[in-house]
Amino acid sequence: MEFKEKSLKRRNGSMRITRREFLKWAATSAAALGLSQLDLLRLEKVLADSSAPPVIWIQGASCSGCAISLLNVTDPTTVDDVLLNHISLKYHPNLSAVAGHMAMEKIEYEMIDKMGQFILVVEGSVPTSANGKYCIVGEKTDGTPWTMYQAVQDLAAKAKYVIAAGTCAAFGGIPGGNPNPTSVVHLDEIVEKNKVVNLPACPVHPTHLVKVILELISTGMPALDGEGRPKAFFSRKLHSNCPRRGTSRAKKIGEFGCMNGLGCNGPNTYIDCPLVKWNNGVNWCIGSNHPCIGCAYPGFPDAVSPFYKF
Amino acid sequence: MAKIKIDPVTRIEGHLAIEVDIDSNNNVIYAHSTGNLFRGFEKILIGRDPRDAVHLTQRICGVCPVSHCMASVNALENAFGYTPSDQARIIRNLILGSNFIASHILHFYHLAALDYIQGPEMEPWTPHYNTDCRLTSSQNQAIIDNYVAALEARRKAHEMAAIFAGKMPHVTTVLPGGVSVTPTSESISKFNMYLDWIIDFINNKYIPDVNTIADAYSDYFSIGVGNGNLLAYGVFDLDNTGNYKLFRRGVYTNGTISELDESLIKEYVMYSWYDNSDTNKHPSNGSTTPTPDKSGAYSWLKAPRYNGEPFELGPLARMTINGDYTNGISVMDRHLARAQEARKIAYAMKDWLLQLEPEVTSYDELTVPNSRVGVGLTEAPRGAVGHWIAISDSKISHYQVITPTCWNASPRDDNGNPGPIEGALVGTNVANVEKPIEILRIVHSYDPCTGCSVHVSRADREVISEFIVNPVR
Repeated sequence: MEFKEKSLKRRNGSMRITRREFLKWAATSAAALGLSQLDLLRLEKVLADSSAPPVIWIQGASCSGCAISLLNVTDPTTVDDVLLNHISLKYHPNLSAVAGHMAMEKIEYEMIDKMGQFILVVEGSVPTSANGKYCIVGEKTDGTPWTMYQAVQDLAAKAKYVIAAGTCAAFGGIPGGNPNPTSVVHLDEIVEKNKVVNLPACPVHPTHLVKVILELISTGMPALDGEGRPKAFFSRKLHSNCPRRGTSRAKKIGEFGCMNGLGCNGPNTYIDCPLVKWNNGVNWCIGSNHPCIGCAYPGFPDAVSPFYKF
Repeated sequence: MAKIKIDPVTRIEGHLAIEVDIDSNNNVIYAHSTGNLFRGFEKILIGRDPRDAVHLTQRICGVCPVSHCMASVNALENAFGYTPSDQARIIRNLILGSNFIASHILHFYHLAALDYIQGPEMEPWTPHYNTDCRLTSSQNQAIIDNYVAALEARRKAHEMAAIFAGKMPHVTTVLPGGVSVTPTSESISKFNMYLDWIIDFINNKYIPDVNTIADAYSDYFSIGVGNGNLLAYGVFDLDNTGNYKLFRRGVYTNGTISELDESLIKEYVMYSWYDNSDTNKHPSNGSTTPTPDKSGAYSWLKAPRYNGEPFELGPLARMTINGDYTNGISVMDRHLARAQEARKIAYAMKDWLLQLEPEVTSYDELTVPNSRVGVGLTEAPRGAVGHWIAISDSKISHYQVITPTCWNASPRDDNGNPGPIEGALVGTNVANVEKPIEILRIVHSYDPCTGCSVHVSRADREVISEFIVNPVR
């Protein structure tokens, strides 16, 4: 039972008086209400869960790479801690146990019940042509298809904050590359700007994502730049922090040195990759002798390709 | 007759809907599999520098980006007429192997296990379809604990990959001409430490947990039975001729294994939202014209067929074609073969690591040819993946991808043959139509990844000349 105890113990630290009072009342009334110890335990869990900040995650024209990247997080904490102790993940297409009608019922319930309270995380860009038919999130409980285009509008209108996780959601990404066959848009084009936090990179950097979620919960909207990106992570160009800045120029791929002459997009791209690196600090693109392909650049891929300038 | 529709199917990658008709005894008599996303990747590739394809096509799928990277680099090197060195081959194998292991662990614990166990009583594990939980409470709790441990295991598999990949998901170091990364004694040792930890996880958690579930749900050895056709392109080259692989390529039909003839691969679109003129095409000259309102169609996936027949792909196909697994083709066989494959790959990686030369970078700068074609065939964790490229004026003029889930989750073809998942669903009894857990179990056993299945190539350009039918490996 280690798993469940851990989650309860951590949550007890932030319990509310009303909840404690309710549980006390429930415990003293247990016999009269016909509640067993197991029922009480369940009640406690339900209350603990509902007090955690709700998060809904939806996917549009994406590859799930940002969801996978979330699972890789280690700083400021690991994903099991996030899921068990910090947020209540109401829906996630890759992680939710439920499917189909029950899943849609749940989203529709959460939308109404938690109006203005939940954090919406959007992965992927939003196809708009063919009435949005190029991406269907699911079949609504009334039997109609819920397009990604409609889902973003419905959910964003009721969300407290919206996170554009990754370059596709933030800026359109590869699905928005020329010729943009499905006419995708990014979130800023269809959601009120003061709600959206843009977290570009392909995939989203998991440290950026989890730190932003925790900041939104604890203190609110972080300071953003003109592109809607948190200044904490995107205030300087990659090149400004690059440990190879000023070293001798690499003449070909695979050599140590500054790759400015090989098509490196570090001088164009605002992101703190040299500081956070990737995969628990194991490596990063330039650390493996490869130029930055500018995956966090607003014009990725069109404005930064061809990636190799030789 | 009643219908059950599961839309969305969760705990897969991408957007998939399953609709089945059931008879009065709740037996499935007809099934439809619908891919619900179209991005137009292959159209976006047209006109770009061919080398960019290695980075762009990885973004087809965040779960198996390395497989697309490898298929793409194979297609490019085939077109360029280049053979990578042993050092580059081994580094690529190690990156791909790490991705296979991460994906298999993710699939079993985080995408499939919740169909068999009672998860934690909190979101996102509630609500659920748990109508048929058969494990003892201690078995159940052990697998829940391992669900959490598996989050760490798959993360570590990605960290292991990143040592040579630069980052995960989406690799930076692999490009035509070799790899950019230079292994060092330190990075090789670090990789080895990760690998030992992961081998321990596979041997002492993953495989025992799959066996526990297989024992408790032994009826699933006769549920979700395949159509008897298995296909693999083969993967993990063990020398640079491409003839000797950890998993050989081949075709299995009702117990008989034969050689794969790549020219027999065709795609059909009668039931897909594409113009009918696109049908019955080999991917080297396939065309794709999205027609979102086409009547009678029900999926964004095309229907790939081999010699006109639907084929199942994946770990079970690879393990069966290689003689490593011989039990059968069913839901539980897919899970067992996948777990055993993870172990086989992990042990092979131990050997490959010893073959690396520290401080040696293997990269040759290649000139982009003016006009060529190429094909790259490899395997993703969930099955065979192929990329077909044509280059004109040193730019991409044609690019076509066929992904494993396009085969497994395909709709009907022009002859009315159902896709493998559609076929495997027929005959299944659904105990509770409100919570059709049996259908989820069957669909999940294929590890579908529909983001991968999105398709389009340029309709107005057919490049047939110079096409090399025999793949590079």
